[in-house]
Amino acid sequence: MNLDSILQILISSLTLGGIYAVSAIGIALLWGVMGMLNMAHGTTMAVGAYSTVLAVSALGIPWVLSLPIAIVAGALLGWLLFHFMVRWMLDAATFETNVVVATVGIAIAVKSLLIVLFTANPMRQPFMLEGGFYISKTFVPAQTLVVMIVSLSLMAIVTLVLNRTMMGRAIRATSQNAQAAALMGIPARKVFLHVLMISSAMAAVSGVLVSSVENASPTTGEVALLKVFIICVVAGLGYIPGTILVAFGMALVEVTIQYAIEAKWAYPILVSLALVILVFKPSGLFGVAKVARS
Amino acid sequence: MKKDILIGVVCVALLAALPSLVASKYWLGQIVLLFIWVGVVTQWNLVLGYAGVFSLAQMLVFSIGGYTSAMMSTHLGASAWQGLLSGGIVAMVGGAAIGVATLRLSGSYVALLTLGLASVVQSLITVDTTCISFEGDVCRTFTGGASGLSRLPGFGFTELLGYKGAILGSYYLALALMALGSLFVLLTINSPLGHAFRALRDNPAAATARGINLTKYQILVFSMSAFFTGVFGAFYAGYYRAFGPSSLDLPTLLFLMSALIVGGLGRFWGPLLGVALLMGFDEFVKDFSEYRMIGVGLFTVLCVIAFPEGVAGLLAKLKRRVAL
Repeated sequence: MNLDSILQILISSLTLGGIYAVSAIGIALLWGVMGMLNMAHGTTMAVGAYSTVLAVSALGIPWVLSLPIAIVAGALLGWLLFHFMVRWMLDAATFETNVVVATVGIAIAVKSLLIVLFTANPMRQPFMLEGGFYISKTFVPAQTLVVMIVSLSLMAIVTLVLNRTMMGRAIRATSQNAQAAALMGIPARKVFLHVLMISSAMAAVSGVLVSSVENASPTTGEVALLKVFIICVVAGLGYIPGTILVAFGMALVEVTIQYAIEAKWAYPILVSLALVILVFKPSGLFGVAKVARS
Repeated sequence: MKKDILIGVVCVALLAALPSLVASKYWLGQIVLLFIWVGVVTQWNLVLGYAGVFSLAQMLVFSIGGYTSAMMSTHLGASAWQGLLSGGIVAMVGGAAIGVATLRLSGSYVALLTLGLASVVQSLITVDTTCISFEGDVCRTFTGGASGLSRLPGFGFTELLGYKGAILGSYYLALALMALGSLFVLLTINSPLGHAFRALRDNPAAATARGINLTKYQILVFSMSAFFTGVFGAFYAGYYRAFGPSSLDLPTLLFLMSALIVGGLGRFWGPLLGVALLMGFDEFVKDFSEYRMIGVGLFTVLCVIAFPEGVAGLLAKLKRRVAL
């Protein structure tokens, strides 16, 4: 393996890692605050991907400006999910299992709706910068830079929001100790709504990025979802900096296997690796032993 | 428990008489499928509902049973009947192994580990292209690869009962297996073993302090429920005379999980009610083609919101109210 292929691997894994990280933060946030495993996260990615397709083709918005549409679409889906579903389920003692099944139902319904509206055929994602440039002999697609810029700035924004704003403090307080937070006058339901909207918006952006590397289709996000879940678990559910680190690590391993061995082995090796880590580190790499809410 | 057995006997008697009323081969086939899924979900209920271990490896265990039977028929020339028993036994070993692997994990970590395990196995089967023997010029791989193993011997009902009677043979065999598996679960949950499972679910710290060995019981519950699950996998292989990696597809697993939650997690009649309700609804919207899955998805959501403790939980609540 020469220097050029190493460069190639690094560039590819930075792109892939950025996409995974954006999606994984959304899941980690939702898990940490609400104990909610959102199986509709992958479908939300697909909704995001189609929202930019629609914005550019139907409304004629320039592609650079279509990303905010995806953010709005994602957040709106989160709002709908909360008001039409999650808030009616919060009181049940079996919330954590029930919400898995309910979001599975949402995922099935929304995916079928996307097939009805846009057919199952893949569509080209317009949120895309054509062309590229060379670093020594390695070709770097310009889209790689776009993906990196979008994912890094999104991560920065979310970190800022969580650390510096009132809403962020409320979210972190609820995630650390829901009961104490409620006693301090933090409205838990409002926090849940905010977290669900932020998480869905991030899923939507991640969907746009995934589909700019592949294509937009109703199944966008389905393959990525399991990998993203695995990233969250290996990092320790709910811990965001660890999640970002593991997302890039996983991407690096995946891309390296694809280059060095064969593409078909990437997935089995990746998941087996994650399983071995979990057996020996039951709460993930960065998880504290007692993360589960009781 | 006596009441449950009584209701069960009446149900089995009614179902046994059903083929004399319903002659349609399509409907009998659908009911056989219903029996298979009720059987699988009932065993899953033991792990997920009573022992409270969030395992998503149920279809993996099912596939271990199915593949054992299919591979024994293909490579060793075993009959489907032999596969039925050995499928159960191999699945039991596999189930015990999964129980060991998940021992130290809790809650959602178990869910994702078992889900990951199933998807690794599926991807490993799909990439299997190495020929281990040849049938004429046709290459035979160990697991059948992406297309699976087909042209299995089956249970021989066609030879025994003729072309028309074959479905009846499968129908009664499936009914018997479902009844047997359910009886096994009913006896288990009402035995000291079942109390230990529930104790570990409700308060692991208190249960272990009382001397209930977590390691022992977790391995026990996994292998117990795995036996019948594997038998159903083997029955599936013998009934359809084919078995492939599509049995590990996520939608099947999610359908069965929805059925379990909609029916009532940790309730004996939950699996039957849930599977019957969801399969019935699916049958009802069959003619709406592309809108069908939208309906199925929304129906599931509605059921979970309306009956947080499942249909079985709702019935129990109604019964309490009537009794007062």
